Amino acid sequence: MKIRKILVANRGEIALRVIKTAKEMGIKVATVYAEDDKNLPHALFSDEAHSLGLGALSETYLNKKKLIDIAKACGADAIHPGYGFLSENAEFAEMVEKNKIIFIGPTAESIVLMGDKIGSKKALEKINVPMIPGYHGDDQTVAHLAKKAKEIGFPVLIKASAGGGGKGMRIVHQESELEESITGAQSEALKSFSNDKVLIEKYVVNPRHIEVQLMSDTHGNHLHFFERECSIQRRYQKIIEETPAPNLSSELRLKICETAVMISSGINYRGAGTVEFILAPDGKYYFLEMNTRLQVEHPVTEMVTGHDLVRYQIMVAQGDKLPVAQKDIKQRGQAIECRIYAEDPDQNFMPSIGKIERIGTPTLRDVRLDCGFLDGTEVGVNYDPMLAKLVVWGEDRKLAISKTIYSLDEVLFLGVKTNRDYLKRILGHQSFIAGNTHTHFIPDHKSDLEPRKLSDEDMACMVAALSFGARREVKSGGASESLKTPWTQLTQFRN
Amino acid sequence: MDKNFVINGEELKVQDYKLEAGLVSFKLNHKDYRFTLVQKDGPEMILDDGNRFKAAVGSMNAEGESIVMARGREGKISSGNKKTSKSRVQAGSLVSPMPGKIFKIVKEIGSPVKKGEPILILEAMKMEHSIRADKDGTVKKILFKVGELVQGGIILAEVE
Repeated sequence: MKIRKILVANRGEIALRVIKTAKEMGIKVATVYAEDDKNLPHALFSDEAHSLGLGALSETYLNKKKLIDIAKACGADAIHPGYGFLSENAEFAEMVEKNKIIFIGPTAESIVLMGDKIGSKKALEKINVPMIPGYHGDDQTVAHLAKKAKEIGFPVLIKASAGGGGKGMRIVHQESELEESITGAQSEALKSFSNDKVLIEKYVVNPRHIEVQLMSDTHGNHLHFFERECSIQRRYQKIIEETPAPNLSSELRLKICETAVMISSGINYRGAGTVEFILAPDGKYYFLEMNTRLQVEHPVTEMVTGHDLVRYQIMVAQGDKLPVAQKDIKQRGQAIECRIYAEDPDQNFMPSIGKIERIGTPTLRDVRLDCGFLDGTEVGVNYDPMLAKLVVWGEDRKLAISKTIYSLDEVLFLGVKTNRDYLKRILGHQSFIAGNTHTHFIPDHKSDLEPRKLSDEDMACMVAALSFGARREVKSGGASESLKTPWTQLTQFRN
Repeated sequence: MDKNFVINGEELKVQDYKLEAGLVSFKLNHKDYRFTLVQKDGPEMILDDGNRFKAAVGSMNAEGESIVMARGREGKISSGNKKTSKSRVQAGSLVSPMPGKIFKIVKEIGSPVKKGEPILILEAMKMEHSIRADKDGTVKKILFKVGELVQGGIILAEVE
């Protein structure tokens, strides 16, 4: 069956991303928007846009019934969930298909399997996927968990079984911290995921986060589109991703990618997915989790392989065969993605809100800004503070880095504080340039990443700019207004 | 003419400040600066001091400060003298570090607290932030209830 109209059950840049490919394929797109999002581009640039009303996320973007009713009413034959929100909600996937609508994603069974960290590990151990030493058992008494932690050996990581995005995670270095960390992780898990089950794992020092992009059709083709390196993280959130991973031998790269395909074929997966691995300095790698959706950082893979992953998602969903063979998927050049957040990295990453007066446009070749905002729109507290993704391709890594640094200056978001300068400091750091990335890069290089003091020249330039450009505020009332709407936690947002 | 600015909270004095149509010149730390305005498009502009560069100026906030971006650097700038901070928060007043939601109130009004003890917990950015007493004393005021949304930089509770 050919899909003729897609409802995008998401917002912001990822909704726009789906709109682009759908338009290229001649497919109509309907979008949804919460009333406080009505001026954002995802509500403007689709063929039709439907209001979700105003209120908590459970009433808007997470309202399964409302979304399905809209899809049926507007005649959409498929729903694309984007990432976050309902993208990994098995109940939603099931509801969609029960209503004779195509879910552009995996089966509910795959979502359930991979959403359960303990269950997925048990299933994958059977097909010889390398697992990090740990305890995933059902005996959740503090005493038993503490005993297991001691058997594994410190340092250990305690985290929510149903979790993601760093919620409920604790690193324990010594026995004296153990009990408090277990109870703390349990209560955080209960609060975030309504389930206090935790698991304990060996904690790898200086690990790298390497993930593999997968795509499977319903004709038995399980392909990979190589790896992404996502080690640069702050508070367990990725902020810079790239592909190919630097300093990774072609043998190890192939081995990791083949392990990932072993998983997608082993569970007979459908659509786009990502397997995340921890790579230890000794070259050993361990399964971390599988994300059963399109990732935030998928564009770097598209830039380097030249394949449109959203197009393949749609093709697979309508039952087509993937139009490419594994041997024809190649990596060319280097791509880097920077996540631009509305936050102040020099004030403990405090989020900033306000009206974006002007968004800059990148001008260099092969640079893409995936952005869900327009000039004059507001950044509030109700949603994730990611403003945009800057994605840059270069013939080699050195060029990709210098193009990214230049482009970060171009893509200003005037009116809100962003992490652009901070991203520049990371990209310009000699360890990053050398490819010595690991997930503790940011805390390890904390002092090097402090802001450089403004020089006299910098300040003179600012005085000059103010002299020509000082303007009184245009009253908008935006920030305070958006604060009135209920804030609901984005526990389902996983990267 | 001398002119004062405040950049990122620090005072800056320039001398011989002259602003004419499309030209500004001044002395800063005994060095002469001269910029011409090449082009202006809303808040964005191209300036020239021998080399051309892009700059942008955000509109002023209530305190008269503007965000300025110039040559890839960013700062908060206002003209005039540094405000004598009458709005400065007194010791004992606990301020929200960022916008968020009151997640939990740990201490009741009237409870004795020691410096460093959490009084309430703010949830923001998917994280919990303890708002701690900054001195020994008694909780005098808690200005919000659990579940309420708060802006960054406002007083949440007071210790006396």
